[in-house]
Amino acid sequence: MQERKSFHAVVSCVKALVVLLAALFSLGSSSLARAADSGLTIDVSVFDQEVVNGTTERLPVSGVTVVVKTEAGVVIGEFVTETGTGSVSVPVPEKDGYTVELVLSSLPDGLALIDENRAIAVITKDAFTTSSKKVTFFTGDVGESGSSAFERIAQRFADGVRLGLVIAMCSVGLSLIFGTTGLTNFAHGEMVAFGGLMMFLFNVTLGIPLLISAPFVVALGGLFGLAINGMVFAKLRNRGIGLISQLVVSVGLSIMLRNLFLYQFGGRTKPFSDFSMQTAKSFGPVNITPRDLTTAILSLIVLVTVALFLSRSRTGKAVRAVSDNPTLASSTGIDTQKIIRIVWFAGGALATLGGIFRGLDEQVGFDMGSKLIFLMFAGITLGGLGSAYGALIGGFFVGVLVEMASLVVPAELKAAPALFILIIVLIVRPQGILGRKQRVG
Amino acid sequence: MDWLKILENTASSLVGIDAAYFALAALGLNIQFGYTGLLNFGQAAFMACGAYGIGMTSQYFNVSMWYGIPIALAFVVILSLLVGIPTLRLRADYLAIVTIATAEIVRLFVRSVRFKRFFGGSDGINSFSTQFRELSPFNPSKQYGIRPFQYSGYTIWTLIVAWVLVCVFGIVVFYLMRSPWGRVLKAIREDEDAVRSLGKNVYSYKMQALVMGGVIGMFSGMVFALDRGSVQPDNYSRDVTFYVLTALVLGGVAKVSGSIVGPMIFWGLYVFSDNTLRELTKDGGISIFGVGILQKSQVGPVNYMLIGIGLMLLMTFRPQGIFGNRKEMALDGR
Repeated sequence: MQERKSFHAVVSCVKALVVLLAALFSLGSSSLARAADSGLTIDVSVFDQEVVNGTTERLPVSGVTVVVKTEAGVVIGEFVTETGTGSVSVPVPEKDGYTVELVLSSLPDGLALIDENRAIAVITKDAFTTSSKKVTFFTGDVGESGSSAFERIAQRFADGVRLGLVIAMCSVGLSLIFGTTGLTNFAHGEMVAFGGLMMFLFNVTLGIPLLISAPFVVALGGLFGLAINGMVFAKLRNRGIGLISQLVVSVGLSIMLRNLFLYQFGGRTKPFSDFSMQTAKSFGPVNITPRDLTTAILSLIVLVTVALFLSRSRTGKAVRAVSDNPTLASSTGIDTQKIIRIVWFAGGALATLGGIFRGLDEQVGFDMGSKLIFLMFAGITLGGLGSAYGALIGGFFVGVLVEMASLVVPAELKAAPALFILIIVLIVRPQGILGRKQRVG
Repeated sequence: MDWLKILENTASSLVGIDAAYFALAALGLNIQFGYTGLLNFGQAAFMACGAYGIGMTSQYFNVSMWYGIPIALAFVVILSLLVGIPTLRLRADYLAIVTIATAEIVRLFVRSVRFKRFFGGSDGINSFSTQFRELSPFNPSKQYGIRPFQYSGYTIWTLIVAWVLVCVFGIVVFYLMRSPWGRVLKAIREDEDAVRSLGKNVYSYKMQALVMGGVIGMFSGMVFALDRGSVQPDNYSRDVTFYVLTALVLGGVAKVSGSIVGPMIFWGLYVFSDNTLRELTKDGGISIFGVGILQKSQVGPVNYMLIGIGLMLLMTFRPQGIFGNRKEMALDGR
């Protein structure tokens, strides 16, 4: 015990020394000297947000340390927000990309960032339209402080249900595409991002109300799925290219699309113009905005419809038949190619709708889909690769699990339990909940 | 347009440190993907093992950097077991899903605030390569070589170490794959059941291939970290694996020459395209009929888009790459 303590002491001494040296170094180096000439500043402010009688009040928070770095990772310096204003003006040498990181441990006791994932703000070079750039961090009620354990669990569960519904919606297509064509489509996340970004284009850039343009965007998403199938994967199947090669092609497609989105949309996340500002209402122990409640109910309706379509309608039965055994299905007279096209259309449309809901819930970003794809894979593996109902159940479960997990693991690591589930499922029941058992080596 | 500068940069990137660490990563990935048919999409995590292993020695344990190798090896073995045990009995795509997920979690883990004490959070670990640089016989303030292959003393030391490692591991892989062990791996790629029926323990062979490839990937991460003198968690994002994969496919899978020349050409092309686009957008963006099509800040994404397109086209039209043999690319699941 004594030894560990002294080890820590040594470590912290070394760290203090490093910080001191870095500070001295930066004083001596030209970066600060040049910074003074450039007149460019980053104005960092920290505010505590509190909802009083339905209106949001912002109180400045002083004594918070922020670290400013260049894009290349060179530390410009550590700065502390001033008393009274809660802000600090950081001189920077040139118009360039910077990152501003709020040191979480320097926050006063009892305060936490509203979104712990946003402790780092990224400033792009183009953000300097004037000589100063504002960066604001908000602390405040995360909906947990002061509330009872039951309330926290209920709140997390409600958040988890919403996430789970979106993941389930996005992964139905992924699972059915796997079932009908055997393709593990790593570009499926990009269809989700396509939905969010298209909605942004219609709603913010063109200014069409969200409710009117959403159906068009969903239809576009379906066409996008069809186009990917027609222009890429149908061609590959016709050339007789193996499934593993197709998988690698889907990886290439994912890289291409994601960077296309980045090229068009830029790296920052942005909100829709409709429904972006809403205050949460209390329903028993759970706080939820009317928007989130609506999307959750809509997701549920969509998912029930999908399930009914698959179990009752003729086409839905054909889809399941092809997904189960493509050769057998085609010998019974089902047009497999047509079914595959239907699956890509429906998968694209559902992923797009998921993207819109996700964009309403968080914000829109070029990588919003690739952040979800791993949760989607965890979901469909849990439910059983190739099974549509499995994807619904598995995706839902993974969403709930991930949100509930943030009660015990740090928010930044809340995706880790999904990997844990993935590994356990593959060891215990590799075919998933609803999958068909097959021979394993 | 400064064509001379572009060509000089391209030429020097062919043998640059980026090509070298990619070549090491590709050699490792080749054992898994090319020879054994294992879809390891988490090579970046193995590279991170090496980089963090060596970074942690000097920063937190305050011991000689050579201890970084056993520490990193331990990381690699743990990681291989973690992804290998559940997936290697199953179809190839399960390994792809689990490795890609694990690589992402490893990155989140090392950049998390919670474990900042060990891994330095999103700043990573910085300035630890003094020991490595002290070993250098070159004078750090002198320039060596002739343009465009002109380097400072530190750089040329790193470059020599890196390319020597590439050669050593190239030879090791070349002879390993001609050994009975390597022939079993190739047989697993061609027909797993046949190998099993001959009484070989396929599971164990696959695990060995995964560890072996991971170890070479680990050295790749070390070289990269020592060159930069820092470890940044975001340098090991999942896309790094895919770029290595693209470079490998470009050179030709299941060929040692492919996994060395592929990354060289990959970086040559990348630097050429990057430099050309940057020169073009130097004085404001390019626009056609008043519509801006390329701003300076968009050069990065465009380069990566080209990599994605390149990977798709290669897999479709020339899966064997430059040196490969189409028969050795007979990958098929299901």
